[in-house]
Amino acid sequence: MIHFDQVSKRYEGGHEALSQLSFEVPTGEMAFVTGHSGAGKSTLLKLLGLIERPSHGVITLDGQNLARVRRGGIPRLRRRIGMVFQDHRLLMERTVFANVELPLMIGGVARAERARRVRAALEKVGLLACERQLPATLSTGEQQRVGIARAIVARPTLLIADEPTGNLDPQLAVEIMGLFAEFQQVGTTVLIASHDLSLIKRMHKRVIVLDHGRLVADLAAQEVL
Amino acid sequence: MNASKEFNGPAAQVPRQQRFASWQEHHGWSAAASLRRLAARPLGSLLTIAVMGLALALPLAFYLLLGNVQKLGDAMGQSQAISVFMQTGQSGQATQLLATQLGNRPEVASVAVKSPQQGMEELAKMQGFSGALALLDDNPLPYVVQLQPRSDASAAAVETLVADVRAMQGVELVQDSDSWRKRLEALLGVGNRVVLMLALMLAMAALLVVGNTVRVDIASRSEEIGVLLLVGASDAFVRRPYLYAGIWYGLFSGILAALLAVVIELGLAAPVAQLSQTYDGKLRVAGLPTWLLLAVPLAAAALGWLGARLVSAWQLRKAA
Repeated sequence: MIHFDQVSKRYEGGHEALSQLSFEVPTGEMAFVTGHSGAGKSTLLKLLGLIERPSHGVITLDGQNLARVRRGGIPRLRRRIGMVFQDHRLLMERTVFANVELPLMIGGVARAERARRVRAALEKVGLLACERQLPATLSTGEQQRVGIARAIVARPTLLIADEPTGNLDPQLAVEIMGLFAEFQQVGTTVLIASHDLSLIKRMHKRVIVLDHGRLVADLAAQEVL
Repeated sequence: MNASKEFNGPAAQVPRQQRFASWQEHHGWSAAASLRRLAARPLGSLLTIAVMGLALALPLAFYLLLGNVQKLGDAMGQSQAISVFMQTGQSGQATQLLATQLGNRPEVASVAVKSPQQGMEELAKMQGFSGALALLDDNPLPYVVQLQPRSDASAAAVETLVADVRAMQGVELVQDSDSWRKRLEALLGVGNRVVLMLALMLAMAALLVVGNTVRVDIASRSEEIGVLLLVGASDAFVRRPYLYAGIWYGLFSGILAALLAVVIELGLAAPVAQLSQTYDGKLRVAGLPTWLLLAVPLAAAALGWLGARLVSAWQLRKAA
């Protein structure tokens, strides 16, 4: 599904966020990317969503070379990826329902079908009762779950999350990670950036460790104790 | 949490028909949402609409003015007679002969001879002249022949007529309105060009006004736009509400401009009616044609769309 080959990312000003990074994530796998802040976790995820472009190297996603995707092709690529952000990026003036509905609206799904799938996604994250509320009336954890519902509602082939539990208490964080694991079980590839090592250990999934933009360890699920 | 059948793997492609229906739906949503956003900050929206409306009303006002000057010119030209002043000392008989001669020409509608005596009486009737005339020893006025060209006579024919009369013996001076008319027509030609240029410049100004308003609109919603782009919205999807905002601004300002033009037209009606009386009621106010009043809001809406389209293309390239 994901293939990084000698990928480097140097920002203007000379800071090298990733250097010669190579790894592969097969379809249907769930993996964590970890490391200290500034290790390059966020940059890695941004390259996958074409929020940033690599300076060197080749990234393929589902067999597609991302360097070949022009500006006009980016929306189509992003529709195949569900993205969850630490600051959840919800539209504060629209209801929970409308927020989750957004990817389906963009994808051109008919109204009745949209309603059905939005409700299913909200039920999945346990927020069906809140569909008419505005995000501001929800707690941080609930807002994060709305963000997750939005990321999964269009059934993406790849789910990526950048510090999805960053602002949550441990109990809630475990629940959220459990949700991601459920999506993996139905065939979605999941890649999560997190610096919460104790949480990662509890999940027993593959862990990719970055340090100053370099791959320093790649532990298979069995190796994570 | 028994909804997992909804999440049994990646989604299939959405059928074309469904995509079209939801595309239409998004158009409806964008039109309504942009209107709500306009209404949400009434002062700013009204100011934009007022500035655009005034800019578009101005060329319409000039167009009205020109139309009426044109009509006035026509009316004056029609009633204008050619006055042929005989040399002093030319007898009434000679004048009469010349008048008969001219009366036979096909382009002449009527001929009248005014004796020096009649001329004196006319002058005496004018205020302030009677005293001065009493001081004169004898009548200094010549015989005058007044020619009325046929109203359907061409300008060239009238010109030849005037030239012929000038060349006739005993004629001192020919006073005709022809050169005056030509000058007015040339002036109207310039006026038309000025109105056209003015309309183009003010349309450009309206474009800039709507463009700037939409630019501020987009800038204030950059966060929302960022989110839309991240979840896979195309540029067309993102800018749709802003294009509708441009259309609304244009449409409303166009309606305002058309209303202003009608007000100006009504304001002109009374003075023109007064003027008309001095031309035997021949003069009627030249109004704006209905098609123009309908076309202005539509053209303004197109202008608003264009302004929004240009700005959003530029803003979105920055955002992406």
